[in-house]
Amino acid sequence: MQLTTPPQSAPVSSPRAAPALSDAPALVALSGIGKTYGSTRANADVSVAIRPGEVIGLVGANGAGKSTLMRILCGATEPDTGTLAIEGRPVDFSAYTPRAAHAAGIRIVWQELSLCQNLSVAENFFIEQPGLTRTRPGWRTIYRRLAAEGLAAVFPDAGIDPGRQVAGLSLGQRQMVEIVRAASDPALKLLILDEPTSSLDAERSRQLQAYVRRRAADGLAVVFISHKLGEIVDVADRILVMRNGRLVRDDRAADASVARLVEAMGDPGAAAAARRTRAPALAGATVRVRIDGDVTAPLGRPVDLRAGEIVGLAGLEGSGQRPLLHAIFEPDKNGPVKRFGDASFVSGDRRREGVFALWSVLDNAAIGRVAHWPALKPVSRPELKARVRPWTDRLGLDAGRLDNGILDLSGGNQQKALLARALVDDADIVLLDDPTRGVDIGAKRDFYVVAAETAAAARLVVWHSTEDAEFLECDRVLVFAHGRIVRELVGAEITEEALIAASFTPAEAVAGDARNRPGPRPIAFLFQTVPFVALAGIFAVMASINPLVASSFGIDLLLTPAVALVLIALAQMFVVGGSEIDLGAGAFAGLVNVVSATLLVVSPAIGWAGLAGGLVGYALMGWLIQARAIPAIVVTLGASFIWAGLGLTLQPSPGGAAPPWLAAVASVSVPGVPTPLVLILLAGAVAVAIDRAPLGTVLRAFGSNPEALARGGWQPRRYAMVRYLIAGGFATAAGLFLTATNGSSDINAGSSFTLLSIAAIVIGGCQLIGGVIAPAGVVAGAVALSLIGAFLASLGISTDFNAAVQGGLLILILTLRGLAAGRSGHAG
Amino acid sequence: MLASVNRFTAERRWIWPLIGIAVLWALLAGMTDRFSLHSLAGVAVSASFLLLPALGQMLVVTTGRGNIDLSIPSVVTLAAYVTVTVSGGDEARLPLTLAAVLGTALAAGAANAFLVVVVRIPAMIATLATGYILATATLLANRQVKTSGTADTLAYLATGRIAGIPVVLLITGAVALIAGYTVARAAYGRRLAAVGQSLDAARLAGIRTGRTITIAFLWSAILSAACGMLLSAYSGGAFLELGERYLLQSVGAVVLGGTLIAGGSATAFGTLLGAVFLILIVTTMQIAGLPPGLQDIVQGLIIILVLSAAGQVATRR
Repeated sequence: MQLTTPPQSAPVSSPRAAPALSDAPALVALSGIGKTYGSTRANADVSVAIRPGEVIGLVGANGAGKSTLMRILCGATEPDTGTLAIEGRPVDFSAYTPRAAHAAGIRIVWQELSLCQNLSVAENFFIEQPGLTRTRPGWRTIYRRLAAEGLAAVFPDAGIDPGRQVAGLSLGQRQMVEIVRAASDPALKLLILDEPTSSLDAERSRQLQAYVRRRAADGLAVVFISHKLGEIVDVADRILVMRNGRLVRDDRAADASVARLVEAMGDPGAAAAARRTRAPALAGATVRVRIDGDVTAPLGRPVDLRAGEIVGLAGLEGSGQRPLLHAIFEPDKNGPVKRFGDASFVSGDRRREGVFALWSVLDNAAIGRVAHWPALKPVSRPELKARVRPWTDRLGLDAGRLDNGILDLSGGNQQKALLARALVDDADIVLLDDPTRGVDIGAKRDFYVVAAETAAAARLVVWHSTEDAEFLECDRVLVFAHGRIVRELVGAEITEEALIAASFTPAEAVAGDARNRPGPRPIAFLFQTVPFVALAGIFAVMASINPLVASSFGIDLLLTPAVALVLIALAQMFVVGGSEIDLGAGAFAGLVNVVSATLLVVSPAIGWAGLAGGLVGYALMGWLIQARAIPAIVVTLGASFIWAGLGLTLQPSPGGAAPPWLAAVASVSVPGVPTPLVLILLAGAVAVAIDRAPLGTVLRAFGSNPEALARGGWQPRRYAMVRYLIAGGFATAAGLFLTATNGSSDINAGSSFTLLSIAAIVIGGCQLIGGVIAPAGVVAGAVALSLIGAFLASLGISTDFNAAVQGGLLILILTLRGLAAGRSGHAG
Repeated sequence: MLASVNRFTAERRWIWPLIGIAVLWALLAGMTDRFSLHSLAGVAVSASFLLLPALGQMLVVTTGRGNIDLSIPSVVTLAAYVTVTVSGGDEARLPLTLAAVLGTALAAGAANAFLVVVVRIPAMIATLATGYILATATLLANRQVKTSGTADTLAYLATGRIAGIPVVLLITGAVALIAGYTVARAAYGRRLAAVGQSLDAARLAGIRTGRTITIAFLWSAILSAACGMLLSAYSGGAFLELGERYLLQSVGAVVLGGTLIAGGSATAFGTLLGAVFLILIVTTMQIAGLPPGLQDIVQGLIIILVLSAAGQVATRR
């Protein structure tokens, strides 16, 4: 641990590192770096040296080449020309991977967040720094402590529990975790922060800047990339300005000012932004939105938003601005927000909520109109182009690029296409959710102009921003604190000081913090018990009808058919942990059944080779799915035909016999203890052990954020193979068990288990998306499902209803789970 | 030159099944004289039956997020049983039969859509669950069936010919044409593709995502039920495994045709070619006298190989 203890509230503008530092040898030295993508020159002849203890601000418009340069520096991209030396030693780029960069102490916090949402904060720390543990009990505690100490050092009182799942954190909290995770690497020498404060409020940004200065004083080099230029001037020792892939300025921060930086970045609209001067909307204009209820309680009156206004939603990040924006877009019928007119929406989260990646710029912009057309109305591209052009022209988006793929554009230009989408819709209300996040200053200006024009055309613009300066573009600003609107600022009242003052309204002054809703945890806990309750209920009913059920003999009889399903369900669980699904697990168990009852009896050597070959086939399947990035569901569906076909070719009709040793193993029993129960518990224990081990954590992490793991140096193909190997192992065990208990083989013996295994893992509490798995629940769910036939029989119901009850149970459990999730607001 | 060829094939992914059909056809023609015009008509009829659920599967797959309709085999089978049970070969009960089949389809499709859109259950689980329930309904129907026989009109639709062309081919051809227009040229197709690429972005762009997805599931069930109804008329009855092969084959036709399995981009023409290609492969294997086990292996391998070859296209982002 190298984290310094925080001196209380260190001022941001603490004394800068002494100039003497510049004599220190360079930590990294880039020289003559060049990189081109197609016809775009991302970097050209960039040379820069970074010394220990230096804080470097890196600025430039979007597309200036900052990200490319940093990707090269941290091993994610190989340059076409140039050299890199780390502590004087030249680096061979072909061997310089992100993992090698980590080893050299160079870490980057990416602009797009790279945490695994299905893991806890602490487990995310493990993914980044696996070196602190070997497989041993208690390894989580090490990382929990690491996370807690790290967070406390950078963001005091952040209130982030290291045991909490990342999915439950706000965007700002995730950004904090990400920064701290990189910063707490004990071997860290150079930390690159790419837009670290884009989702942080002013106070957290200040804490981060203070932390950066403290670490720099201890000799850490930091590169700080931000579009918030004031922040750069405050925090950096040295500021690098990039333009068109070249380094155009390299100055001491003391000599820099925002105006000079803007000039150097080569922004065409470099003249200081004139404050919006416009007659405020007339009081008589049409009311487009009325906000009432708890959210306006501090003001003591409803708030009306009118046509022709630009209304800002300000406050600390996560204070209720975004929920209000979404409530205006999709008003609840009886909710406190009423909308009068159509609304369109522009999100700053382009990747998740904005672009349609497969489409051209034109298609992306035009969908705003097509959205409301009758289903069978023909879509004419020339006509749409004519509708979209005026808006893209006004936004300064080159008409020649309308037919380009949307992802070929820079972030700022993508955002312009999305704004065009909202405007071409002719909606009365335009909702902007932090639309300029990560956008360069030139594009921002175009944005402001169009926003003003839009309001002037008697539309209502509602604008949420994380950059306070943007509220100067608004006619009126609603300031949020603790989920409530605490201030309304109009016209000249809108100043950054007033915004900050209102944003920091203490919680006590705000009636009933709207964000303090009870979390989903108690309900989630309740649902973890569902498979166990279902199993216990079924068993209790059966035992009450026929007491013999509860005897050792009864359990033996009832659980024998459950063992194979438990094993196949556990195989399925590990595949599902990777956000994939295996439609061939049952058929594979059937194939193992056939192989072990035929080949293994006739010729053990060939039989064993066949079983090993099956496992290799499974691992290869995992490799193929990963290497070619193809959906597992279809590959495994195809594979199920291969398994079944192989089995059918080996043995066209049921028959065969169990190998003597296998039959002997299966007949081993401890008197009084039902063997199937032992086997089921054993299988569950193995699965739990794998899942709780570091290996299991990595497998789950791959299920949620494979890109981040690949960047962190984990091998996706290797772990895909391991995952399928584990699944294949459980399915093989199931096949052997079938042979042992049936004493013969049938290629169709396993086929019904595939879909049942999926039902079992879902009932057991696994999530198909996000790689959340639950071994104990899966075991209970599988046993419960396999008991349903006997359960119905004991109630005197035809087994025709077996499948319907299984399906009904699946729907019931998922419906209850869905309702609970919906009520706790976990819909997204 | 190569780049422009690449772009051409990337935009027209149906080119691959077309090449496959041509190659296989040439092989067959050269290999055996048993492959006559008659067996070609057989291929066309089988492909027509497959095309109906395949187009439905295409719509569901295009809604994205790994969505797939696993209830297709159950709907096909149940619709066949409903046809046999309700009509009993009586022409007068045809309207009632059509209503019953449509009702079954709408119920199944609406149940799937409800579970996916309202309850937010992943599509593959929701359709798996409804598939279980439909399978039970089929078992119960199986016990009811006492009569056999097919209403004349249905028999004509399934087995009749106009100027030598199977009627069923004309029906499914028309369905494919409508589906092609809807997916490629109509507003619904744009919305479907948008939903399949990003549900959140589609919602915020003003698309009624729930309605868009619901329509896809309803049509998947309707087309599958139509397939089941025609199949029962074609084979003169219903049996429990009637729809089984349509799970792999509907997905296979969609994949071979070049619809993105990850959603967001569909081609009805490609699905048509994919269906023909797949049936041609199966027919070839039958003519060549391959044992059933080997036929299964080849079908599975082809789907995996085609998917692997198309892998890079599918991940373009």
